[in-house]
Amino acid sequence: MGNLGFEDARHLVSRTGIGSEWETISRFQNLTRQQAINYLFNSRDMKLPAPPAMTAWPKMAALRGNMSRRKNIKRISRVEGKALQQWWVKHLLVTKSPFLERMTLFWHNHFPSTIKKTTQASMLHQQNLMLRTNAFGNFGQMLHNISRDPAMLLYLDGHVSTKDEPNENFARELLELFTIGIGNYKEVDMREAARAFTGWGIDVRNGRFRFNPAEHDTGVKTFLGKRGNLKGEDIINILLAHPKTADTIAKKMWREFINISRPDQRVINQWASVFRNSGYDIKVLLNQVLNSKEFWAKSNRGALIKSPIEITIGTLRTLPYTLRRGNLAHNLNIMGQGVFAHPSVKGWSGGKSWISTQSILRRNSMMTNLTSGNLNERKNGGGMASKMPDVNPQQLQQWLLAIPPLQQMPTEPGKQRLTRAFVLDPAYQVN
Amino acid sequence: MTTKLDRREFLKYAGLISASAAIPLLTPEMLFAANGQQQGKIVVLVELKGGNDGFNTLVPFSDELYYRYRPRISIEPRQVLPLNESVGLHPRMKALMPLWNSGNMAWIQGVGYPNPVLSHFRSMDIWNSASNANQVIEAGWLSRVLPKFKRGLHGVALNKGQAQLGPLNSSNLNAVTMQNPKTFLNQIKRISDVQPNNLNPAIAHVSQTQHQLFGVGAQLANKMGNRPTRSGVRFSKGVFGHSLESVAEMILSGIDSPVYKVTQDGFDTHSGQRGAQDNALFQVAGGLASFQQAMQKAGLWDNVLVVTYSEFGRRAKENRGAGTDHGTASAHMVLGGKVRGGVYGRHPNFEQLDENGNVRHTTDFRAMYATLAQRWWNQPNPWAGAPLIPFV
Repeated sequence: MGNLGFEDARHLVSRTGIGSEWETISRFQNLTRQQAINYLFNSRDMKLPAPPAMTAWPKMAALRGNMSRRKNIKRISRVEGKALQQWWVKHLLVTKSPFLERMTLFWHNHFPSTIKKTTQASMLHQQNLMLRTNAFGNFGQMLHNISRDPAMLLYLDGHVSTKDEPNENFARELLELFTIGIGNYKEVDMREAARAFTGWGIDVRNGRFRFNPAEHDTGVKTFLGKRGNLKGEDIINILLAHPKTADTIAKKMWREFINISRPDQRVINQWASVFRNSGYDIKVLLNQVLNSKEFWAKSNRGALIKSPIEITIGTLRTLPYTLRRGNLAHNLNIMGQGVFAHPSVKGWSGGKSWISTQSILRRNSMMTNLTSGNLNERKNGGGMASKMPDVNPQQLQQWLLAIPPLQQMPTEPGKQRLTRAFVLDPAYQVN
Repeated sequence: MTTKLDRREFLKYAGLISASAAIPLLTPEMLFAANGQQQGKIVVLVELKGGNDGFNTLVPFSDELYYRYRPRISIEPRQVLPLNESVGLHPRMKALMPLWNSGNMAWIQGVGYPNPVLSHFRSMDIWNSASNANQVIEAGWLSRVLPKFKRGLHGVALNKGQAQLGPLNSSNLNAVTMQNPKTFLNQIKRISDVQPNNLNPAIAHVSQTQHQLFGVGAQLANKMGNRPTRSGVRFSKGVFGHSLESVAEMILSGIDSPVYKVTQDGFDTHSGQRGAQDNALFQVAGGLASFQQAMQKAGLWDNVLVVTYSEFGRRAKENRGAGTDHGTASAHMVLGGKVRGGVYGRHPNFEQLDENGNVRHTTDFRAMYATLAQRWWNQPNPWAGAPLIPFV
């Protein structure tokens, strides 16, 4: 197979990264498809910014137990949550391995945990590191990890689930959203699973996972046809043996990488079976997706809707604009994609839901602000044009847009003007 | 009224009415709408997101089992604000008691549907679309009522972050989402029109939404100018109060939307329910009390119906975390100047729980929708099997 060339390189970069950096496209256009994909897997920038100051669990746990001090928890978590959002956003802006971050974000969306519910930024930070470490690793391992993850135990109330009174929140979402999906189990399966996770909690001394045998239900449970004194680990292993788990992940991959329409079940079956046969090796699945006919099909170019992170951070990574006003993390919150601030345990629905009359207004305002000031050359050290690659209008369009613009483009010369017109065109909203 | 109300049906509901429904006095404000604004019949949908625990909202304080099932989270009888001899309001909803006393508040008990689904997302889809539990309908339920009711704008959904259209979601409805009208007016100036493009579903959605936004934006800007009419009433600072203040301002500005949707979240109370739900209900009550004052002041309270809904209620028994897991039927509230105050429907039987420990519903939620369609908007009832509830 030959080299990618500009258009395919651009497609691969913008679909796997955040934005479409000229430099990376230039590098990829002279590589074969597999070489470029391997490059994506092999670059892992783990040099994260220094984490913000975050209050440790024992101190927060003490406040939790004290009614009159509970207000402090809210205040502390709000401040620390903001700092944590900024911490990740900062890394998203500068990371050298955007594919790794994109996948970390993918798993952050599959396994949401929020500041608001957990009120524990330090644990969300740890969870984020865990997801990044496993982002190209093994899904089974990640699922086992997340079930013992302190932030998740807080988020879905696992830490207050006991044999006398099992809490169903984690068990329900584990089945409905994290693995096999609704329609593939009965309420009684969910309740039996909840029993198996009882006694899983958080050590008050250090904030780590702790199993408390005294609160664990050791009775016989029946889950999806399996009977025995099942433990939480057994439930997860049964779910991993179930074909619908891989099906769920494969469908999410379709929505992440292919288009916003209903996935082709034939393709999903094939991806799911490759994923399952690999023992849930995420890299194997991604390799399958990125080599698929569907991923490269011309009809799927521009068939995804950019997320708020792609549209904002992606633009800042691609073009030499600077955001002079406002806080980027906050802007993501109001555009509907605040990190550690999902609207629900289902995460961001993505696709069509990114675009509403409300979000168009916000996206448009954001992009208008971002692209406005740069016409002033004095303020911006010679203007953006000097920092742009030397390309003609046609190449500029090929670089910035996945499909032709919808609006009339300006005819007067000027790269800045044209760049701005591309960025503000509806075609820039799709990828 | 041209609605046909089965006599037996009427007695079934009316027999349970026990409100101290005083006939409101005709005040000068009611005769002359402020600002000379004409307004049609408006519904304000209040989404209680996460699954509100109806049993700790409309408290069945005379039901012994309620206290046995909920030793830690139940509301003590002396704290309940009694509406009649068997049910009363959560104490944090005190701000709404004047509405009960003036006969402007109705409660419908045991609202749910057969074969309840306990998934947040699936159950909300069911409520949004008025489908059966085993049926998937994409379009929101209002798409079966509003297109014939009026042209132009059909609804505005408001929330911080990303508002969801929910029941207004349909290609045959003209509905917008926004945070508030001020921001909307500020930002709409920068939007240019674009012709819908069908190259692929992604750009089709983007271009159609922008095209629609441009059209509605022009209408709204025309009515509101640079800023909407102020309500002259103080609203609480939270997101919910802010949303309702926006609704009031749009109504006062003469926007002719028949539906507004606002959302209060924080009802998914699997643990530590009392703090979380108490606060959420406080927000709801405070916001709605201010909203009522604003409408009353403008002489528009008779034009408005406020209706709550939620994906489900919660488990009869509390759990170890002093919370409640996902449930089924719940109580819902209707407010408005034209409301026939009272408590409708039956309190679900706590002795007959299903295999999941949930109550069985006593009123189908589509009866509420059917009532809004037929008795409020005078439109045909699209849910033929659903009975009407004479709350309005």
